[in-house]
Amino acid sequence: MIPLDAPSRALVEEVRALGRQYMRPMGLESDRTGDPPPADHPFYLLCSRQGGLVSRTIDPEAAPDGAEVPQWQPFRAALIAEESAYWDRGVALSLPGPGLGGSALRSTATPEQSARFLAPFADHGRAHWAAMAMTEPGAGSDVARIQTRVRKEGREWVLSGSKMFCSNGARSDWVVVWATVDPALGRAGHRALVVEAGTPGFDLLKIEHKMGSRGYETASFALDDVRVPEENLLGGESFYESRQGFRGAMATFNMARPIHAAQGVGMGRAALDHALAFVRAEYPAHGRRRQRALERLADMRRELHTARLICLHAAWLARHGVTNALEASYAKLFAPPAVFRVVSAALDILGEAGVRNDALLEKLYRDVKILDIGEGTQQVQRVVVARQLFGFPRDA
Amino acid sequence: MDAFTLSEVLEDLAAAGDRFAQNELAPGARAAETGGAWPVRHDEVARGLGLCDLDVPESLGGAGAGALAKVVLLESLAHGDAGGLPALDQPGPTVGAVLACPDQPLAGRVAAGGRSGEAGAVLVVCDPETHGAPRLEWAPARPPCRWVWVTAGDGLALFDGPDELAPTQALAFAASGGVSSALEGCREVGRWELAPLSGHAVRARARLWAGAVALGIAQAALDATIAYTTERIVFGKPVAHHQGNAFELAALATAVHGARLALRDGACDLDAGAPAAPYWATQAAVFALDAAVATTDAGIQLLGGHGFLVDHLAEKRFREARMLGLLWGGRDAAVADLAAESLDVDEAVFVQGAHR
Repeated sequence: MIPLDAPSRALVEEVRALGRQYMRPMGLESDRTGDPPPADHPFYLLCSRQGGLVSRTIDPEAAPDGAEVPQWQPFRAALIAEESAYWDRGVALSLPGPGLGGSALRSTATPEQSARFLAPFADHGRAHWAAMAMTEPGAGSDVARIQTRVRKEGREWVLSGSKMFCSNGARSDWVVVWATVDPALGRAGHRALVVEAGTPGFDLLKIEHKMGSRGYETASFALDDVRVPEENLLGGESFYESRQGFRGAMATFNMARPIHAAQGVGMGRAALDHALAFVRAEYPAHGRRRQRALERLADMRRELHTARLICLHAAWLARHGVTNALEASYAKLFAPPAVFRVVSAALDILGEAGVRNDALLEKLYRDVKILDIGEGTQQVQRVVVARQLFGFPRDA
Repeated sequence: MDAFTLSEVLEDLAAAGDRFAQNELAPGARAAETGGAWPVRHDEVARGLGLCDLDVPESLGGAGAGALAKVVLLESLAHGDAGGLPALDQPGPTVGAVLACPDQPLAGRVAAGGRSGEAGAVLVVCDPETHGAPRLEWAPARPPCRWVWVTAGDGLALFDGPDELAPTQALAFAASGGVSSALEGCREVGRWELAPLSGHAVRARARLWAGAVALGIAQAALDATIAYTTERIVFGKPVAHHQGNAFELAALATAVHGARLALRDGACDLDAGAPAAPYWATQAAVFALDAAVATTDAGIQLLGGHGFLVDHLAEKRFREARMLGLLWGGRDAAVADLAAESLDVDEAVFVQGAHR
């Protein structure tokens, strides 16, 4: 039992209520139409209001050493991620907030930059998003291979290239774009820059169509000589001496991975609850079939419970400023395949009743697969763990 | 206290256990198995660390430190050598019966006899749907062993003085010795019908014990496997640097990490008296036992032929991990207990059935 303080419990309860009223119906509608909810949907404004979900993941009171710097709260974000994904993972990803852009700020930005870029989220009059753009058509899991170039011209940085799989990118106030000053430098050449919406040359190419998780937009961008002020280089130039830039990228993922994985726990819980309800209502009161189902349910709970502990532990480490590269990868390695097994087992329990398009389970089965791909595939996580534990070489 | 943070006291306890395990238990593990017992000094040090006292309430003469402390120490010691733990640790796996027994003065006397080494106790888990007299097929025990706790469903019974506890060798834990008995001629000292689901608590404590020992074994197997496979060169590079092996080791390390969190979480639930604590303790134990079997299997496989030789401890851990999943009704009885509560249990963290 992980003790939660009263504000965290209240937060979970609030997400639960919002999920039931808004997120599940919005997710089903998006799945049917293929389009994410519009950015001006009343639900997003509700989340952004004074004291709403968004403001409570950015907590100025919790800033270390009393600094007036807004702090993103990974543990609270993990709680929200799990509960919101229970209702709809796609809509959960579409929630307003700094998102992965916030993770990048936390791992890379100066206090002044964090304050500047998180300031829009204090505007409760409308919903605000931020995003991060790392993946490119030719560089997915291997983020060291990104080809988007950045060069310094006077007091500006100039970006050229393309990005894809940028969650909420098309509706964001700003996007953290990872680029390289020279691909030959490898990771040492990486830079993270904030590109604000509307910057000339920063053009939306398309919103991708996906098998599942349709409740959020997945954008592709072109960057055609996009000019940003030098102050938008996260961390400042000194940050990128030696391999700090790449470490910043990885630290971003270290904070995001447990949260991504926690979404899986929520989805698995949704599948479990459907299976539980079905067994209660439809299964015979006795006999081998019921016993088999009850044992399956026990297996599902065990997988979900362990996944939840691993995710929350990794987020807890991030919350307390403890290096969590290994634990974050444990979370991302374990939870998505575990949740996939849980959803699949729930389908087994429901049988043909579970595959109909008007049943949530078949949607969950489509939704859940991306968890094992985004934020670093299971295979990447195994590489990371192997490197951490026994020096698995980069060229193996 | 929660599964993510240990108090300074428990950190110190774990560190002391680790030192003892590394410096004394591990180097003597094979000799203890061959000799059929831990050296007396090992017993003394383990007792000195509180092995037999930690999870026994102060009201019964124990330290009252709780299940989490016990799980932490068991993992540390089992990392060095689990062989002598089952017999030495009294009341150990029977502590759930001691705690649940409505006749606390009697339970306290039984526990005290075990802790002093005068009269040990063993636990027998019976299937409540199977009729007939209980049998003690095998239990780790060191003479003098006098008491037999029997749990079946929510029933609990205590027997005194089996006529004959036949020394019986088994798959593992030779340093503890073992006994079996048809339990004929035993005197039934007491029989109680516990509150609904309380029988699960008796068994869950034993399973948590097994899970914690399995975790120590699994971590030792993982450490030894990584040490060997990063030195041994095959096809031009270390065994561990072949991707197939590296990926397997990464998954096993993840499972061991998850098992540790789950066991500590389950122990915290028991210490807090959480309503579903037995359920989650059993879940944690099953996860840990599965992880230990997988990790110790790889511990042999990745050593190749060497793993099959008694020159390494890999084969010993392999036997011990499997055996832990067979004791006290084994994994199947654990899953049966879990299945019986599948439709009713409260979520462990913060969900509490709000979605139904």
